[in-house]
Amino acid sequence: MGVVDLAPLSERPSVVVAMSGGVDSSVAAYLLAKQGYPLVGVSMQVWDYKQNSAENSRATCCSPADFCDARMVADALDIPFYVVDFEAMFQQEVIQRFVDTYKQGLTPNPCIDCNSRVKFRELRNRALTFGCGVVATGHYARIRKGAAGYHLLRGVDRNKDQSYFLYTCRQEELEQTLFPVGEYTKPQIREIAREAGLSTAQKPESQDICFVAGSVQDFVTRIGGGRGKGNFITKNGEKVGEHEGVHRFTVGQRRGLHLGGSAEPLYVVGLNAETNEVVVGSRSDLERDEFSVEEMHWVSPELLRVVSGKTFPFERDVIVQVRSRHDGNRARMTAHSPQCVTVTWTDGWAPVSPGQAAVMYDLNNEELLCGGRIAAHRT
Amino acid sequence: MIIDLDANSTYLPSEEIQEVMKLAWRRLGNPSSLHRGGQRARAEIERAREAVRYLVGAEKGDLVVFTSGATESNNMVLRAPWRSLAVSATEHPCVLGPARRVASAGAELRIIPVNEDGEVKTSHLEEALSRHTDFISIMAANNETGAINDIHELARVARSACPGAHIHTDAAQIVGKESISFAALGVDSMTISGHKFGALSGVGALIIREGIQLEPLLVGGVQESKLRGGTENVMGIISLGVAAQAVRETLSVRASTMSELRNCFEDSLLTTLAGVEINAKGAQRLPNTSNIFLAGSRGDDLVIALDREGILVSSGAACSSGKPEPSHVLMAMGQSEERVRSTIRVSFRADQSKEIVPRAVSAIVGAVSRMRSATSEN
Repeated sequence: MGVVDLAPLSERPSVVVAMSGGVDSSVAAYLLAKQGYPLVGVSMQVWDYKQNSAENSRATCCSPADFCDARMVADALDIPFYVVDFEAMFQQEVIQRFVDTYKQGLTPNPCIDCNSRVKFRELRNRALTFGCGVVATGHYARIRKGAAGYHLLRGVDRNKDQSYFLYTCRQEELEQTLFPVGEYTKPQIREIAREAGLSTAQKPESQDICFVAGSVQDFVTRIGGGRGKGNFITKNGEKVGEHEGVHRFTVGQRRGLHLGGSAEPLYVVGLNAETNEVVVGSRSDLERDEFSVEEMHWVSPELLRVVSGKTFPFERDVIVQVRSRHDGNRARMTAHSPQCVTVTWTDGWAPVSPGQAAVMYDLNNEELLCGGRIAAHRT
Repeated sequence: MIIDLDANSTYLPSEEIQEVMKLAWRRLGNPSSLHRGGQRARAEIERAREAVRYLVGAEKGDLVVFTSGATESNNMVLRAPWRSLAVSATEHPCVLGPARRVASAGAELRIIPVNEDGEVKTSHLEEALSRHTDFISIMAANNETGAINDIHELARVARSACPGAHIHTDAAQIVGKESISFAALGVDSMTISGHKFGALSGVGALIIREGIQLEPLLVGGVQESKLRGGTENVMGIISLGVAAQAVRETLSVRASTMSELRNCFEDSLLTTLAGVEINAKGAQRLPNTSNIFLAGSRGDDLVIALDREGILVSSGAACSSGKPEPSHVLMAMGQSEERVRSTIRVSFRADQSKEIVPRAVSAIVGAVSRMRSATSEN
């Protein structure tokens, strides 16, 4: 025998649904199953909870107990289910970057790295090898097909919206991705789970960072070795105290400084990784009219066309969101190149942490246009 | 149609055995009961014991002790009072695990290496033995590669080097695939597992040479010659007996059917796809087992991709977690971790027909090709 008969994959459109064991991805699988998609449930093994026993807690997601929950839901939905190993990739692309970023005096966002580097890249690759051209997740976001391409919108539930973490999605990824729960509110999702009898209906929310159960700073110290003691200084360079390492702080942070003797509350207003110094000051010291954003990703079809036309610089009035829990403020975005933009606040402001994502939405604060990493301040 | 190419993980009971099982449970009591229900159960158990004895070629005086399976059988022999153990590197974890536990309690543990085909040679064994060695365990056939060891010859060498040592063999995989004679092997104990040759899972046996004294693992009952306390797994034991008899009557046909399937499969795969190597090719192998390195693939993903197409295979030994350790068997054969992770095991059943081979080959070629092109795109 020489010739092998390969049925084209397009004839068997199947969906890999990423199942963390939480209620959102459980309902995502349920909704797609109800719509008749051929499904393959996949839990991503990203972190060895046995080896890292200090993090072994039900407070995180993606633990063996969560996989068991996902397995039970998959079985109830009568879909195949596999746990797939992503540990090496997650260690390299998410955890190492997370630790390194903190040690550089910047504030990382591991969920964004996980989405762009693991879920929508490697999971998609694996899905293809399993014969599945589409990946679905339990993210609260929506995708709409328009005349010019695919639009990424905030989830219907603004309290749960996770589009901020998805600004690295490319058009071809949006084309082959489903976010079924983004069309619902969280209470609706719980209700659907309850009505469907899904065993995960009452599960509590997972924490922000799935691989950290306790303190982020202790995690960075333990995994990355930390930075050792350093000084708190004022803007003028005056030493006002000692801290346990620059990796423990985020620009804009107020809690946990343990610095007394100041009339007004003190904030972290700057981090110097080279000298291991944390600059403290008042809230007004955090205020800046503009800031730079690097490593831009262009999402909306309209902006993609402008960027590919190389008509720089160009400006847009946008809503900018600078942290996961920030409603956004109006700003003028000036794009200098495909990689770099400047954001100038035009109505109010929010403190920005270098390393975090700045994500731009349209003026309805509905469609995600583009996003990037907030650059270190020039001081 | 599902094509089950994972017979070494579990050899599902044939329809004939399923039929027997459907009837059997209705009329059986506790085999220790004195009444008729107990008597019938007792008789069934003893009938099964003789069927097993006959299948494995044990002598009249040898003990056939029913256990819950290979893990229990191996645990039963692999514990104190042994002071100096020699076990082969490619043993199943249910031998290596208890051996390490005995070692952690203070005993000496020597690992007998294998050659690149996964075989234990007499020279390997001689090197690993010392004058203190009092326990030796070498598997009859490997579950992953199918490599068969010459237990008769190895036992002879071990006996002359260490006359007082207890010699054990784990024969879980070879039973039902090749003929075996406990008496002729010259070992002191031998493990067999029911679900590897068509009985239910949860039943197996330890065969013990006449006169060898072993302590029970489970105490508190007089069952199984006081060597295994607890009410017998009656249904499991009956299935073991029925499977043993079925296998015994058809063994040579089964072996040739399986080897024809396996050889046809390997020839077809090798001629269709580049970058394929058969592991343990130089060894005498189980007739149904093919352990295949597929360059540019990932074994665990391949298992999923093939499952999607209704073809059941395994990457290494059966494992439920998402992060399987690389096969210690292939590593012991000197292979790199990268190569080991690109390997799958295919194991045929005796009741399969050659028509499944083209479908299996085509699915493997398709999945590997997709993986290779996905890798080259990145």
